[in-house]
Amino acid sequence: MSDSENSRLSGRQFLELTGGVAGMAALTSMGIADGWADNKVTLDTDNLSKQDHQTDVLVIGGGMAGLFAAVKAHDAGAIVMMVSKGRLGASGQTPFAKGIFAFNPKTSKLTLDEFTNEVSRSALGTSNPVYTRQMAEHSQARVNELKEWGFFDSVLCNRPFSNPLQKRNIPVIERVMITHLIKEDGKIVGAAGFSMDNENVISFSAKSIILCTGAGGFKPNGFPINDLTHDGTVMAYKIGAKVTGKEWNDGHPGQAKNAAACFDGWHGMFERKPGITGVEIHHDLGVDMNYLAYMNGNPLEAGPPGMAASNKTVGGPYRPAGFDQPHHPPPPPGDSDRVAGRGKPPAGFEPPPGGPADGGRPPGMHGIPVGGSSAGMSIHKSEGLVPINDQCESNIPGLYAAGDALGSYMAGAIYTQIGSSLARSAVQGAIAGKAAANYVQKTPMFKISPVKLNQVKDEILAPLKRQAGFGPAWVTQTLQGIMIPNFVLYIKKESLLKAALAYIEELRDHHLPMLRAADMHELRLAHETANMIISAEMKLKASLMRKESRCSHYRLDYPEIDNENWQAWINIYRGNKGEMQLEKQRFDAWPA
Amino acid sequence: MSIHSINGCIGCGECVKSCPTDVLRLDPHTGKAVIKYVADCQICHLCRLYCPVDAIIISAEKTIPVVVSWG
Amino acid sequence: MGLNLIISAKKITIISALLIFIALPVLLFITGDSPGRTVLKDSISILTIIAFALLLQQLFLTRHVKTISQFYKLSQISNRHKVTGYIIVPFFLLHPVLIVLPRFFEAGVEPLDALITIITTFESTGVILGLIAWGLMLVLGITALFRYRLVKKLGVNYKAWRYFHGSLSILFISLASWHAIELGRHINYLMAVFIIICALTGAVMLVRHYVVNPVIHIGAK
Repeated sequence: MSDSENSRLSGRQFLELTGGVAGMAALTSMGIADGWADNKVTLDTDNLSKQDHQTDVLVIGGGMAGLFAAVKAHDAGAIVMMVSKGRLGASGQTPFAKGIFAFNPKTSKLTLDEFTNEVSRSALGTSNPVYTRQMAEHSQARVNELKEWGFFDSVLCNRPFSNPLQKRNIPVIERVMITHLIKEDGKIVGAAGFSMDNENVISFSAKSIILCTGAGGFKPNGFPINDLTHDGTVMAYKIGAKVTGKEWNDGHPGQAKNAAACFDGWHGMFERKPGITGVEIHHDLGVDMNYLAYMNGNPLEAGPPGMAASNKTVGGPYRPAGFDQPHHPPPPPGDSDRVAGRGKPPAGFEPPPGGPADGGRPPGMHGIPVGGSSAGMSIHKSEGLVPINDQCESNIPGLYAAGDALGSYMAGAIYTQIGSSLARSAVQGAIAGKAAANYVQKTPMFKISPVKLNQVKDEILAPLKRQAGFGPAWVTQTLQGIMIPNFVLYIKKESLLKAALAYIEELRDHHLPMLRAADMHELRLAHETANMIISAEMKLKASLMRKESRCSHYRLDYPEIDNENWQAWINIYRGNKGEMQLEKQRFDAWPA
Repeated sequence: MSIHSINGCIGCGECVKSCPTDVLRLDPHTGKAVIKYVADCQICHLCRLYCPVDAIIISAEKTIPVVVSWG
Repeated sequence: MGLNLIISAKKITIISALLIFIALPVLLFITGDSPGRTVLKDSISILTIIAFALLLQQLFLTRHVKTISQFYKLSQISNRHKVTGYIIVPFFLLHPVLIVLPRFFEAGVEPLDALITIITTFESTGVILGLIAWGLMLVLGITALFRYRLVKKLGVNYKAWRYFHGSLSILFISLASWHAIELGRHINYLMAVFIIICALTGAVMLVRHYVVNPVIHIGAK
């Protein structure tokens, strides 16, 4: 990029469109200048450079799963490359997860089988016992490796994650958003995306790809997942991968005051060093509090839901015997210890994946809780690509997923074991890495045709080339206004799910194709927004289909568990004509 | 207002890399970090924690309307 | 009468020195709009600002400054200069460490990692200036400490040492001031003006003394 372009970039004032459903009126009253939707692109889109890479195994994502996927694929003999939308160990949920579960057979009160069965009982059958067991079985080994790399000695993950990758000379490409997976001859052959810094399109030829892209949400307020927009799930869905778990919800509440301030809401958790958690099975992070808020209105009484308020409230999500009350972690110390404590490990509980709000207690112990802080995200590991076996393999040959990008149902559709989300990411990363390394040994490198690459490039850059269109920030806020209300996303009924779906289909058909971007940052927002629209459609359709209530999915019109029809997960895939298809997969079966 | 101010920036770029939502960029002229896309700040403080000279001050307020599940 | 006048003039000198090199910078720190931080961090900041002002003061604690040398013995001035130097130079040698020191007591990047990042950010003019200034300061400090031995060993006269020390100081102060203005956390318009005026006045007086008008030597009274 030339200097003159630089100066144009810095001198540009960006029109910040705020709005969403509630903001529309304000926007109109402000008066909108002529040509407000003109897309004043700040870079020369015709001359963006291209960069091509080639590797055996491409790991997409630089969190806990990506770390182990890269390390283990390399150690199994493959040439590995990592690409991440953010920075290694500093994007997605990994930097905020402070508790990791380790199953120690010597000290555990439960055997592996007992642990697996108890998780399944709490999860009302929604868990996949193969993955529950695998997580517990391998957790201690992964924790030991993390110890060796300095993970538990540091508040920040970048350094401990860099250690093993640097030692193995595994290249890490940061701040590159992958938007496309490329499939040829029925198998995965590569991926492509763009760099936020170098303003170029980047493509990868790879024999195998491991999606470690995390989960996602609707850029909600109060949970640090605004960079997670189900990118991996959506790009895999587009090439035919099966996706599961979209009807479930992660019920983390936030605090009413400064609801968007993740850091403040977590009261110093982000500043702690990670710690290790032991066996402790719960039935957490469901939508109990959402139900209370729906029935009783705001403000919810601060303090554990199910205490005072629930006495007056009938019904709500069913909790299995022995899990009658949501679990409450010890209150985190107030934010005043921000300066004092240099990151002592938390005793026995875990933030975001599992969080200080475990069991529905608001992060601000004294504040008024408010819902939707992790809106758009399901219970950890309950959503993502459908595994066809215990090797984290998807139905696309060569495409693997690990961690929150894989719908492994390790914990089921409710959060059952504190710290197991981070452990699960580590364990699955390692398994997927090894499996991918084995796969590439018998797979030749496919040469992606320049025609295909150009087509992908055009799709990637399309928002930059539109003369006019819709700003991604505005579309995102509109989507939030449609999806995040308690009566749409959490406490569901057919009429409102259908109403919301009509809005989302409008965004999908008329707005998604007209998303515009003026620079690389907006290009990222445009692709993220598109992914969120597809995710919203999946969530609504799956929620409509599951005509029962179970774990973190609650239907006002079908409040009971329906074991006759719904001992099944919902898989979503793209039909022949590009339409979204949904199917049931029995709890005890792998995909057909 | 999310990331509030940056004082004493040395231009190392750690915050730019560490921001999950791409809020910060190095100004091509001064070489220092600028709060370029503040609306996207998720107030997670990673930039502040990674900054070697602790130059970043963050406020708890979001600059754009906040959508939550009930009010 | 004459004695009284001298004493009160002496007082005025001391008071104005205190005002200019301690009270004024502290005032500028307080009135600046930089957000407040923890007690430890703000203490380090204030100390650093005062230390830098005292560094600038060194330019004036020399024999060529007429007003001072009127009331003080040369030995008194040079003592003051020496003591200040002994305190200020080690302080600024520790300056990079002091920046990362608070991180020992709170979460974030590891202090050593932070220090390494700071001193390897070569794309930054301010960092390069700081690194050079730090090196020059080290040379200044060591040569000053061993000046007699140095003079003896090199066989030069003491005046040559003074030239060396003076010119190196001017170079150092220029780079250090530029560094402070470029990177200072609490730098604002007024503080920058203060630094520039002090550094420039001091440097000009020194240069005038040695180069332009070497005859004006005012001995101790």
